[in-house]
Amino acid sequence: MASRYDRAITVFSPDGHLFQVEYAQEAVKKGSTAVGIRGTNIVVLGVEKKSVAKLQDERTVRKICALDDHVCMAFAVFTIFIGLTADARVVINRARVQCQSHKLTVEDPVTVEYITRFIATLKQKYTQSNGRRPFGISALIVGFDDDGIPRLYQTDPSGTYHAWKANAIGRSAKTVREFLEKNYTEDAIADDNEAIKLAIRALLEVVQSGGRNIELAIIKRNQPLKMFSAKEIELQVTEIEKEKEEAEKKKSKKSA
Amino acid sequence: MAATFFGEVVKAPCRAGTEEEEEEEEEGRRETPEDREVRRQLARKREVRLLRRQTKTSLEVSLLEKYPCSKFIIAIGNNAVAFLSSFVMNSGVWEEVGFAKLWNEWCRTTDTTHLSPAEAFCIFYHLKSNPSCSCYVAEDQQYQWLEKVFGSCTRKNTQVTILTCRHVTDYKTSESTGSLPAPFLKALKTQNFKDPACCSLLEQPNIVHDLPAAVLSYCQVWKIPAILYLCYTDVMKLDLITVEAFKPILSSRSLKSLVKNIPQSTEILKKLMTTNEVQSNIYT
Repeated sequence: MASRYDRAITVFSPDGHLFQVEYAQEAVKKGSTAVGIRGTNIVVLGVEKKSVAKLQDERTVRKICALDDHVCMAFAVFTIFIGLTADARVVINRARVQCQSHKLTVEDPVTVEYITRFIATLKQKYTQSNGRRPFGISALIVGFDDDGIPRLYQTDPSGTYHAWKANAIGRSAKTVREFLEKNYTEDAIADDNEAIKLAIRALLEVVQSGGRNIELAIIKRNQPLKMFSAKEIELQVTEIEKEKEEAEKKKSKKSA
Repeated sequence: MAATFFGEVVKAPCRAGTEEEEEEEEEGRRETPEDREVRRQLARKREVRLLRRQTKTSLEVSLLEKYPCSKFIIAIGNNAVAFLSSFVMNSGVWEEVGFAKLWNEWCRTTDTTHLSPAEAFCIFYHLKSNPSCSCYVAEDQQYQWLEKVFGSCTRKNTQVTILTCRHVTDYKTSESTGSLPAPFLKALKTQNFKDPACCSLLEQPNIVHDLPAAVLSYCQVWKIPAILYLCYTDVMKLDLITVEAFKPILSSRSLKSLVKNIPQSTEILKKLMTTNEVQSNIYT
């Protein structure tokens, strides 16, 4: 049945599927894993980083991008055809223009929810036009609003968006999300360092080669975005491994 | 005939039988000697050959006649092969007895006479005989492959286990694929397989494809007890979580005696993973 109703975006299948949108969601899973966590005073974004080709300039391969001075996005991208990194670039450009336009028009910076709604509306438009395909990207959008409350939103190719306490997108996102559901507690995220560790631990569930393949960024209230260096991430990973060992020792003592 | 949105004409299959026009066309398609020669050359190119490892000579009889065994485990696809290499082949001494050499349109190399063993990707190991098959075996080559491996007689004492992966979108369900707990394991077995499966059986419509289907059909016809463990995953390339989804099979009768050191296996598996996977420029 799928093969007769999946050629055009504007055609529903008899059981109500928009197959192109669902295929676009499959394309997201081809990208790396990204995780976002909203703490009490911090938002953390972590992304799986793969090594860059030898002759490629690493500076041009960036996943965590700023939309505005105070809003930040991490993409995991996918597509049905080609150009998913390209889809991300196009949407980021449009969102950046919108942020500035909003600032000039109403003299206030955008809220995280506003820009998320803009991006989601843009994505939805592409699920309802003929001759176009949906954007093959999901996005995690984080930032602080004027009221000082941290926000984390997630959008997907269908154009839906929701606020989350913690979420993951991309390859093996389900595994990471299940880990977050088990380990996200109000105590864990009250402390900034614990929130950072939670993000790294969630990524380590699926990143196969440890800390050196993780890119991490944090935003604290009234502070600019901070990218963690490889050394800082390695330190966190070492701490996490120590805690794991101690927990296992305690467990074996108890069982003995 | 049906017209789609873009105006393309799609021919709907006709169940009333062939039309007269097609019969006229067929008369014009009678085979010439050149056609026969081309067909013969193509058949020679697509021949499946089983070769001995040391001597590189062809096996005169089928693999299972030469190396009879009680447990025959086939891994098809890179995740299944990684699982077998890490969990089964790290314990005990495995002797590489031969490999299958074949060529089809999916092969990356055009030289069909000098395929190196590294490209063959169909290697047979003997402890309790355990072939790992990472190449694509086309439909017309499947029967040849089966004949050369199994031979044409019933093997009452052999139990066959097949491990493979498919994309989760192949799983027939009314649920959306996003809500499925990928990766997950399903089993399909022949009538003569009496042991319990290590996971739930594949529900209707229980359709499998390619070489695993060919092996299962072959085993069903020859009354060989066989079971296929199919891992539905959303990550088709080599992936730790997909390989670990095969772990329930370690408690099966076929593999229990072969697996000795699970923590060490997990370490070997992590090393097998491409740690230096280069960032794709298309997907970020």
